[in-house]
Amino acid sequence: MGDRYLAIKKDGIETSHPATVRQPRRWLRAGLIPLSIIIAILAWWLLARLSGLPPFMLPSPGLVLDRFWQVLQDGTLLRNTWVTLYEVLIGMTVGVIAASGLGYLLAKSPVVERLLSPYVVASQAVPIVAIAPLLVIWFGPGLLSKVMITALIVFFPVLVNTVVGLHSVPDDLRDLLRSLLASPWQTFIKLEAPAALPIFLGGLRIGATLSVIGAVVGEFVGADHGLGFMINRARGQYDTALVFVTVITLIMMALALYGAVVFAERRLLSWQQRPENPILISDKS
Amino acid sequence: MLRKILIVSLTAALILAGCSKKQSSSASNDVTEIRLPMGYIPSVQFAPFYVAVERGYYAQEGLKIDFDYRPETDGVALVGANELPFALVSAEQVPLARAQGLPVEYVMAWWHDFPVAIAAGAQSGIQKPADLKGKRIGIPGLYGASYVGLDALLNAVGLKESDVTLDSIGYNQVEALVSGREDAVVVYANNEPIQLKAQGYKANLIPVKDYVNLVSNGVITNEETIAKNPDLVQRFVQATLHGLQDTIDRPSEAFEISRKYVEGLPQADQTAQWEVLTTSIDYWRSKQLGVSDPTAWENMQTVLLDMGLLKTPLDLQKAFTNQFVLAP
Repeated sequence: MGDRYLAIKKDGIETSHPATVRQPRRWLRAGLIPLSIIIAILAWWLLARLSGLPPFMLPSPGLVLDRFWQVLQDGTLLRNTWVTLYEVLIGMTVGVIAASGLGYLLAKSPVVERLLSPYVVASQAVPIVAIAPLLVIWFGPGLLSKVMITALIVFFPVLVNTVVGLHSVPDDLRDLLRSLLASPWQTFIKLEAPAALPIFLGGLRIGATLSVIGAVVGEFVGADHGLGFMINRARGQYDTALVFVTVITLIMMALALYGAVVFAERRLLSWQQRPENPILISDKS
Repeated sequence: MLRKILIVSLTAALILAGCSKKQSSSASNDVTEIRLPMGYIPSVQFAPFYVAVERGYYAQEGLKIDFDYRPETDGVALVGANELPFALVSAEQVPLARAQGLPVEYVMAWWHDFPVAIAAGAQSGIQKPADLKGKRIGIPGLYGASYVGLDALLNAVGLKESDVTLDSIGYNQVEALVSGREDAVVVYANNEPIQLKAQGYKANLIPVKDYVNLVSNGVITNEETIAKNPDLVQRFVQATLHGLQDTIDRPSEAFEISRKYVEGLPQADQTAQWEVLTTSIDYWRSKQLGVSDPTAWENMQTVLLDMGLLKTPLDLQKAFTNQFVLAP
């Protein structure tokens, strides 16, 4: 590690720390996550047992596991998970395309940036739960409204990171390509895209986890399928164990999407020097 | 670091202690303070409770009421856990909650008639339940009183859910019907039809109550409160009945009293709000205020079983009682 610095990236904020902290051994590092999960489940079990709260307020891990097995076997969980995942994937795709396209325009044109940035910032200030019912009225109760809500929630982090990423391209490298008479397309492909990619993917990581929230908010407002609908229905029947099953499934989905972006990062940024098992930590030489 | 862990542990312990504390009601100087979950936002339809407070009926029974406008399911869960003594809920919540082990019991019928109805455009040709076959119906969601009411109505005329197309549209029934997105929508008879009328939209209304007798909104408590503090239940029910009777007898005074509790009521469309109250009163009237009909409970249970929301029949004798309404 020497004198290199680690950049701890969380919610897009980077802070630098000297990388002199001794790293745990590989086997220990591999076991830390399972260990933390086991401790969390144990704490949950103890809480359920000692708090005196009835199962409809705090079900035990065993009860939740039983319910998980039931809805897995009868197909309810997989059917609804697929509906939500489908909404998430389409919403993310729409959100990422729109955000990166507009982000490029904003980064390249100071005039456009000045014109649109108030609206972009304002879009982030609008509480999604407040406008979700309106989107359902405008786009109907089907897939389209969920896609729009998901796209909206993904839009901002991806847009901001696209702009920041493109602004981070060193001017001397731009000058170099200009001196080589590179076309705008060549400049984009050879310089801007690779240079902006690490920061863009950081935004995509945040967007991936937020996208699940977007789809669920849409399903909460009006849906007859999906994990948000399952939560609503389970709450209506006081089936708190099923609420837990659904929430855990949503967490797993968000983690899987996050993991997919991290995987893509590793493949696309293989030219960068990286730590062995980055989770929230990415290397910055 | 260790200090931080200790602080976090202590905080968690305090939260736990707070959670496990039973605080069904708090009494001081012979006045019992009651937090009452209403299940909906402040509304003129809660006039009987506002009247009972303002006219001192609760105070005469040694009760001080604090209105709590949290969602219905939260109220049921808190009463089931004996964290609160009473809540206002739609009756189908009682068997659903009891099936999950919540020991709640219905002690007073507030609404005599089930308030759910189907609204359709006056020109749609939908005038009776049989006309709904093959139509697209908007519903807030596939849960709650709207869903139960619709299924009960369809069953009553030999239709099944598969005979119609259901769209979960949230609470956007007025917009969905006016825009023509849906052929019909499931509504509360005392609410959306009045909004439709205010917008000049002519609608046909098919009330569920005209086809099936279902038990409706009322007051619940829990088995522990009935066993250990029946006097509290008696006092609460009697004071509430007093407020209900007053509201039915003198609606204009009840409307005036509601202004204090419903923010924005003085600025709202007075005609429409007045109509909300008078329509609600039509659904509250009964030969014996507060009494719930055992047949209506049986019907409700049959519907819930048919819908698969209940797996097995429950002992309905434990789900409701009229003892506190009929007591002298």
